[in-house]
Amino acid sequence: MEERSEIPPGTLYMLILKTLARLGAMHGYGIAQHIQQISGDVLQVEEGSLYPALQRMLIKGWVVGEWQQSENNRRARFYKLTPEGRKQLGRELREFEKVMAAIGRVIQPA
Amino acid sequence: MRELWRKLRWLAEREQFDRELEEEMRHHLALKAEEQGSLTVANRQFGNVTLWKEKSRAMWTWTFWEQLGQDIRYGWRTMNANRLFTSMAVISLALGIGANTAIYSFVDAIMLRALPVRHAEQLAIVNWRAKGGISAVVDSHSGSNYREPGGSTTSPDYPYPAFESLRDHNQVFSNLFGYAGAGRLNLMVDGQAELGEGEYVTGGYFAGLGVRPALGRLIGPEDDKPVAAPVVTITYGLWQRRFAGKDEALGKTILINGKPFTVAGVSPAEFFGVEPQSAPQVFIPVHQLGLVDLNPHHSVESRFTDGHFYWLDIMGRLKPGVSLAQAQTEMAARFQQWALSTVRNDKDRQTLPALWLQEGGSGVDSLRRQYSKPLYILMTMVALILLIACANIANLLLARSAARRREMAVRLSLGAGRLRVIRQLLTESILLALCGGALGIVVAALGIRALTLLLANHQDDFTLGAQVDWHVLLFTFLVAVATGFLFGLAPAIQATRVDVTPALKETRASNPHARQRRFGMRFGLSHLLVVAQIATSLLLVAAAGLFVRTLVNLNAVDVGFNRENILLFSLDGAQAGYKERALKEFYAELQQRFRSLPGVRGATMSQMPLVSNSWDSTDVKIPGVSKVDGKEPFTAYMQIGPQFFETMQIPILLGRPIAQRDRQGAQAAAVVNQVFAQKYFPGVSPVGRHFGFGGKAEDTEIVGVARTPRYDSLKDEIPPVVYLSYLQAGESLPLRGMYFEIRTGGDPLALANTVRKIVHEVGPRVPVADVTTQARRIDQTIVQERTFADLCTCFGALALAMACVGLYGTMAYAVTRRTSEIGIRMALGAARGQIVWMVMREVLAMAGVGLLIGSAAAWQTTAFLKSFLFGLKPDDPLTLGAAAAILILCAFLAGYAPARRASRVEPMIALRHE
Repeated sequence: MEERSEIPPGTLYMLILKTLARLGAMHGYGIAQHIQQISGDVLQVEEGSLYPALQRMLIKGWVVGEWQQSENNRRARFYKLTPEGRKQLGRELREFEKVMAAIGRVIQPA
Repeated sequence: MRELWRKLRWLAEREQFDRELEEEMRHHLALKAEEQGSLTVANRQFGNVTLWKEKSRAMWTWTFWEQLGQDIRYGWRTMNANRLFTSMAVISLALGIGANTAIYSFVDAIMLRALPVRHAEQLAIVNWRAKGGISAVVDSHSGSNYREPGGSTTSPDYPYPAFESLRDHNQVFSNLFGYAGAGRLNLMVDGQAELGEGEYVTGGYFAGLGVRPALGRLIGPEDDKPVAAPVVTITYGLWQRRFAGKDEALGKTILINGKPFTVAGVSPAEFFGVEPQSAPQVFIPVHQLGLVDLNPHHSVESRFTDGHFYWLDIMGRLKPGVSLAQAQTEMAARFQQWALSTVRNDKDRQTLPALWLQEGGSGVDSLRRQYSKPLYILMTMVALILLIACANIANLLLARSAARRREMAVRLSLGAGRLRVIRQLLTESILLALCGGALGIVVAALGIRALTLLLANHQDDFTLGAQVDWHVLLFTFLVAVATGFLFGLAPAIQATRVDVTPALKETRASNPHARQRRFGMRFGLSHLLVVAQIATSLLLVAAAGLFVRTLVNLNAVDVGFNRENILLFSLDGAQAGYKERALKEFYAELQQRFRSLPGVRGATMSQMPLVSNSWDSTDVKIPGVSKVDGKEPFTAYMQIGPQFFETMQIPILLGRPIAQRDRQGAQAAAVVNQVFAQKYFPGVSPVGRHFGFGGKAEDTEIVGVARTPRYDSLKDEIPPVVYLSYLQAGESLPLRGMYFEIRTGGDPLALANTVRKIVHEVGPRVPVADVTTQARRIDQTIVQERTFADLCTCFGALALAMACVGLYGTMAYAVTRRTSEIGIRMALGAARGQIVWMVMREVLAMAGVGLLIGSAAAWQTTAFLKSFLFGLKPDDPLTLGAAAAILILCAFLAGYAPARRASRVEPMIALRHE
C-alpha cells in the first residue's frame, strides 16, 4: 500500500464541505473517494472519522441528509450543502488560508 | 436553539437514525468491497463498525445518558444475580449512611440552619468581650456568658442605656434591636393557666428580624413605651392550641403572671425567636417588663437606667453593602466611648468590655457551643463506621472481581475501552451505594427519633428538633455517591487490569489460583483493608469503653440521699398572685395535704431539685473568717421546707434539721453541709454559731450539720451549702416557685394525677409543671454521657461486626484460593494443627498490626474526649487493654472458621481438583 498522509486536524469539515459544494449531493463513500482521488491518493479519509464528522455536521445544520437511489441502484444517504454550510465553508476557507499564509511566512527561507 | 431541536428530534427517533446509520455504513462497505474485490479486505480496512457507530452516535451527545441507562440496567441485573452479596452490602451501607445522615441532621438543625427570616445573612450578634473573667464595670449580669479558649469572657448582654446609645447613634445598622428571656411565665387564657416561656423584646425586634405576622400585627416601637397599653404577640403554636387558630384571638385579653395583656397579633409558624433551642410562647414589649417580672434582685427602674447592669441581648441588621468588619469598627468605638462614661475607678478601666460583632444568620449560638464538640465527635465516629463499611464492600468487590475476570476479558477484547469498563463498574458501585443510601434514610429517620428521645430524656420542654429535609437528603445523596466511588474505584481499576489472552483461555471451572502471583497486589490490598478495619474498630471500641465506664462511674456516685421513689414537680404560687404570708400558707397547706395521702411516706419542698444543674450562691459574713484560699467566703444555698432531711433521707450529723418551728419571727436558722462546716469552722462544731447571709448582719444561727449530699451535679466538687427554712424567707431572700418532693411506697408517678387534683383544689390558677421522679431528674444531668455511652456502644459493636465480617471474608477467600496448596502440604505430611496455625498466623498478624496502629491512634486521639469523661483518664490502660482483648478475641473467632475449614481439606480431592 502506498504512503498516505493524515488529514491535518480540523480540516476534515472543510474538505467535506468543499466536496459537497463541488459535486452537489453525495453519499459518504463518494465523499471519501472524491477526496482521495482529487488529492492524488495523498489524503485518505478514515471511515472512523468520516461518519462522526457527518453526524456532527448534521447537528450543526451545515448539511442535510436525504435517502436516494445511488448510481448502482442501492439506497444511500446523500448529503447536501445547506446555505448555512456554504457560509461555514467560506469561513473555514478564509481561516485556512490565513493559517497557511502564516505558516508559509514562518517556514520561508529568510 | 435549532441545534437543540435537532438533537431532541434525534432522541425521539433515534431507532430510525440508528437504522439509517447502519444502512449507510453497509452501503459504504459494499461499495468498498466492489472496489477491492473482497469483502474481507474491505472489512479489515473499514475497521470496527460498532465503534464507528458509537462514535457517530456520540456526536448527538445523548450517548452519555444512554450508556448510563445501559449501565444501570446491567448493574441492576448484576445486583439481582448476587442477592447475598447485594443484601449484605446494602445493609452495611444503610447502617453506615443512615448513622451519618442521622447525626448530620442534628448538625444541620443545630449548627447550619439559618433563621427563618428575610436576609438572615445581614443579621449580626452584638457581643462584648472582657479579658479574664467578668468585667469590673459589670455590677450585675443576667443572661449568658462563656469563657473563650484564651481566657477572656464573651457575652451578648448590655445595659439598656448602652443599647439606646448604640441604637440611636450609628450609621451601619438599618435596625438595632434587643431582647431578653423572661423565663417561664404563668399564662392564663380563658381561665385556664399554663406555663410558657416568654421573651421581652424591644420595639424594633420584629421589624429588624424581618418577620411578618401570621395574624394582626407584631410588636412595634409604639408598643415599647412605659405608658403604652400592654400588648403581647403570641406564637403560632399558642394561637393554635388555645384559640384554635381563630381570628377572634385578636383583641382578647390574656393574663401573664396575673397581669392583663391584649393579644395584638400572632407570629408566623416557623418563627421560634433567635435561639434555635428556645421556644417562647409570648413576646412582651421590654418596657412592660415591670408588669411581669418578679425578679426581686433588681428594681424595674434600675433595668432601664443602671449602666452597670448588663441584661439586654442585642442584635442588628446591617445596612446593605456594610460589611461586618466595617460595622464592628464603628460600633466598637461607639461602645468604648459609652462604656468609658460608666468607669468609676482604675479596675473598671482595665477590664473594660470591648464590643465585637458576630454573624447572626443562624441565630444565637449557645446551643452550638454546647453541642458542637459532642456532634463533632459523633460525626467523626459515624464517618469511621462508614469507612469500615466501605473497606468491607471494597474487599467483597475485590473477591468478586476475580470471579468476573472472564467477563472483563471478554469486554476488553471486544474493544471496550478500559475507562468505559471502569465507568460501568463504578456505576454498579454507585447504584449499590444509592440503594444503601435509600435504605439509610429509613435508618436515619429511626435514628433521629431514637436520638431525640435519648437526648430529651423525659424533659417536657425539649424543643430541639431534627428532621429529614432536603438539606439532609442532599447530604445523604452526596455521601452515597462519594461512598460508591470510594469503595468501587480501587476494585474497578484492579478488575480491568486483566491480561486478556490467558483470562480468556480460562474455562469457567478452572481455578483462578493458578495466577495468584499476578494478583499478589490484590491480596496486599485486601489485607491492608482488613488491617485498617481492625485499627478503626479498636478506636471505636476503645471510645465506647471510655464512655461506658464514665457512665458507670457516674451512676456509682453516692448522691448522699435516697433518690428512689420520689415524685418531683414544680409549681409557682408567686406568679399566680400569692404574696408573702399567703404564699407560705399556700405551700404549707399543699405539703400538709400531700403528707396525708395514702401511700406517701413523706412530703417536702425545696427551691430547686437536688442534682439538677441548678445553683444559687451568695457571699457570707462569718465572724473570724476573712478569706479562705484567697477568696471571700461564699456559699451555695437552698430554701427548703420542714421534713426535707427526713424525706430525702439525709443524715443530720450534729444538731437538728430545719423544722416547722423555724418560721417568721423565730431565730433565723440554717443547716449547713459538712463542706461548709470544715471550710469555715475547721476543727470546731459550728452548731450554735452565727453568720451573715448575703452581706447582711450576722443573724443566722447554724442549728445543724448535714452529711454532705450532692448539690447541683454528680460531677462537680460539692460547694459549701446552707439550707434555709422557706418559712423565714423575706426581703433579702424572697420566696418564689418551689419543687415538691414526695416519697412514696410504690411507683411515684402513679401519684401524679392525685397531686394535680390537689393543687387544682388548693390553688386553681397554679399549674403543676416538670412532673418527674428524682431519679430521672438526676439522670437528666448526665444525658450527654448516657447518650454517648449508648450510641458509642452501638457504634463499637457495629464496627466490630463489620471488621469481623471483613476478616472472615478475606480469610475464607484466601483459604479457597489456596486449597490445592494446602492439599499438597497435607499430602506431604503437614498435620491439621499446622494448617490451622498457618491460617491463624495470618489472621493474628493482621489483627496485631491493626491493633498496633489502632492503639497508637487511640493514644493520640482519645485526649479529645477528656472533657467528656468522669472518673478515668482518656488513656485509661484498662479500657484500652480490654478493647484490644475484645478485638483479638473477635479476630480469633472470625479467623478460626476458615482455618478449620482449611484443616479439613482432603489432600486427594484438592489435588484432583487441579
